[in-house]
Amino acid sequence: MRESMSIWFFAGVLFLIYGVIITATGFWELANPPAHPPILFNLHPSIWWGGMMAIAGLIYTIRFWPRVRR
Amino acid sequence: MPFEHTHRLFSHPQALAFFQGKSLAHLNGVDILVIAVYFAIVIFIGFYLKGATHTSEDFFMAGREMTAWIAGLSFVSANLGSLELMGWAGSAYQYGILATHWYWIGAIPAMLFLGIVMMPFYYISKTHSVPGYLHLRYGDGARALSAVSFAFMTVLMSGINMYSMAIVMKVVLGWNLNFSIWVSSITVALYVALGGLRSAIFNEVLQFLLIWLGALLVPILGLIEVGGWSNLRQQILTNLGRSDYVHLWSTLGHFHDNPMGIHWTGIVFGLGLVISFGYWTTDFLVVQRVLSAHNLRAARMAPIIGAGFKMAVPFIVILPGLLALSVLPFHLVGETQAVATGQHSYNEVLPLMLVRYCSPGLLGLGVTALIAGFMSGMAGNVSAFSTVWTYDIYGAFLNKKATDQHYVAMGRWCTFIGVLISVGTAYLVQHAASIMDYVQALFSFFIAPLFGTVILGMLWKRATKAAGFWGLLSGTLTAIGLWAWVHNDPSALRYVALSTDAKTMAEDMYRALWSWLVCVIVTVVVSLMTKPKPEAELEGLVYGASKIPEERDANWYQKPIVWAGVIAVLFVILNVIFW
Repeated sequence: MRESMSIWFFAGVLFLIYGVIITATGFWELANPPAHPPILFNLHPSIWWGGMMAIAGLIYTIRFWPRVRR
Repeated sequence: MPFEHTHRLFSHPQALAFFQGKSLAHLNGVDILVIAVYFAIVIFIGFYLKGATHTSEDFFMAGREMTAWIAGLSFVSANLGSLELMGWAGSAYQYGILATHWYWIGAIPAMLFLGIVMMPFYYISKTHSVPGYLHLRYGDGARALSAVSFAFMTVLMSGINMYSMAIVMKVVLGWNLNFSIWVSSITVALYVALGGLRSAIFNEVLQFLLIWLGALLVPILGLIEVGGWSNLRQQILTNLGRSDYVHLWSTLGHFHDNPMGIHWTGIVFGLGLVISFGYWTTDFLVVQRVLSAHNLRAARMAPIIGAGFKMAVPFIVILPGLLALSVLPFHLVGETQAVATGQHSYNEVLPLMLVRYCSPGLLGLGVTALIAGFMSGMAGNVSAFSTVWTYDIYGAFLNKKATDQHYVAMGRWCTFIGVLISVGTAYLVQHAASIMDYVQALFSFFIAPLFGTVILGMLWKRATKAAGFWGLLSGTLTAIGLWAWVHNDPSALRYVALSTDAKTMAEDMYRALWSWLVCVIVTVVVSLMTKPKPEAELEGLVYGASKIPEERDANWYQKPIVWAGVIAVLFVILNVIFW
C-alpha cells in the first residue's frame, strides 16, 4: 500500500511535464526561428522559463512521490 | 508621442489579425497539448479523490484536514477567478495603479482580521457555513435571508466569471463562446461533484500555481521591454500627460483629482472597512476554504498566508495593465464601445499582453492560466453554493431528517444544477455594460450588510435574534434602494457618493458604507428593544462569552500574530512606496 498522493506531488508532475514541453519547444524554435516572433523573442523565455519549471517539477515529484507504507 | 510603439505591433501578424477582425492568436499543437494535459490532470484529481469522499463532512468540508498552506492558497485561489485576473488588469489600464487598492487595503487588513479575530469563533462553533453561524447566533430568520442571498449572488458571480473567460477565448483564440462555456463548466462540475470540496481545494492550489506560472512572464518581459519601473512611470506620464495613474494615495484628496473619481474616505471606509471586510470575512466562498483546516492554528494561519500571496498578486494583474498603457499601440475601450466598434475592451488587456510576449508553448501555458483562473473561481462558487443549499436551505427548511448519504447525493446534484444556473447567468450578463461595476454593485447589496450582522454577532453579546434579521434585511434593502435611486435618477449620485464628481466606483464604495451603517444602526436599536439571549447560549459564538482554546506554539515565530504583524508591516511599506 502506498500513501495517498499529495497535492504537491500533482503540482510537481504538472510542472515537470510543462517544463519539458516548453523547454523542448524553446530549443526547437532556436533551430527553427518563427517567421513572426513575439516581442523579446531574442531572450528565449521558453528555454529558461521551461527549464526552471522542469527543475522545480522534478524536485517536487521526487520529494512528494507517494511512499510505500510500512 | 502617445503611441510611439505602434510599429512594433503593426509588424506583427497577430496585430494584423486584430485589424482584420480575426482572433489574436492561433494555438499550435504544443499549446493544445499544454491545455489538454491540464484538463486531464484536473479530471484525474476528481476521480482520484472520489474514493476518499464518503460522508457529508468529507464532501462539504474536505474532512477538515487541510494544512494551513493548502487552505491558505485555496483561500486566495478561489477568489482569483478570470474576472479577478482580467477585470482588474483592465481596471489598471482604465484607472491606473489605483486598482491596486482592491488587492491591498481592500484585502490585507480584512484577511488578517479574519485570521486573528474572527476565525476562532467560526472554527470553535464547528459551523459548516457562514449562514450556519448566523443560525447558531441569531436563529433561522437571519440564516434564511443570508443563505438565499448568498446562493443568488454565487450563481451570478459564477456566470460573470464564465462570461469573462468565454470572451477571452473568443478574442484570443477565436473559440466559439458556447464551446468555451460548456467544456470548462462541465469539467468543473465533474471534478467538484466527484471529490467535493477536497477536489475543489486540490485543484485550486494547482490552479493558483499555474496562474502564477502562466502570467508571471508578462510583467517580467514587460519591465524588460520598457526598461524598468522608473521608465514605465515616465512613459505613462508622457503617453497620458497626467501623473495620477501611478499614485496610490496622493491623488485621492478630491474626487476630480484621480481617474476613478473617488475620495480617500470612499477607499478607506467604503472599500477598506466595509466591502473588503464583508467579502473576506463573511463571503462563504472564501471562508469555506479556511473552515476546512485541520486545527484552529491552521485555520488562523491560512488567511495570513493567503494575505501574503494576495499582496503579491498586483504584480501579475495590475502591472500588466500599467505596462499596456505604455506599450500597446492602440487605445482599449469600455465593453459597450468595444462591442459597437470592434475595438478591444479593457478586459482584454491581459490576453493582449500574453500574445505580445508568448511564443508557442508559453502561450498555451498563459491560456491555461486563464482557464485555471476561471475554473478556480467557478469551482469556489459552485462548491459554496452546493454547501449552502444543502445545509442551510434544503437541510434546514425542506428536509431536516434525511440521512448523511442523502445530503452527499444532494450536494453532488447541486453541483451540476449550480453549474447549469451559472451557464444561464453567463448568457444573461453578456449585456452588462461593465463587468466590474456590476460585481461591485452585487457586493454592496449583500456582502456589506452581512458583515455588519456577523461582526456585531461575534463581538457584542447584547445583539439579539430579531436584531440580526432586521438589521440584515434593512441593510440589504438600503443597498438595493440606493442603487435603484441612482439608476433611475443619475443626478442622485451627488447625494449617495457625496460629490457631483463621483464616478461609478465611488458610488459602489459609498453605497456599501451606507448599507452597512444602516444594518449596524438597526441591529443596535432593535437589540436594545428586545430581550437578549442568555449568556450560556452564546458559548463558542461571541467574544467575551467564549473560551478560546489555548495555542501552544513551540517558538515565537510560529505564532499567527507574529506573521500577521510581518504582513501588516509589508503592507504599510508598499503603500508608502507607491504613495
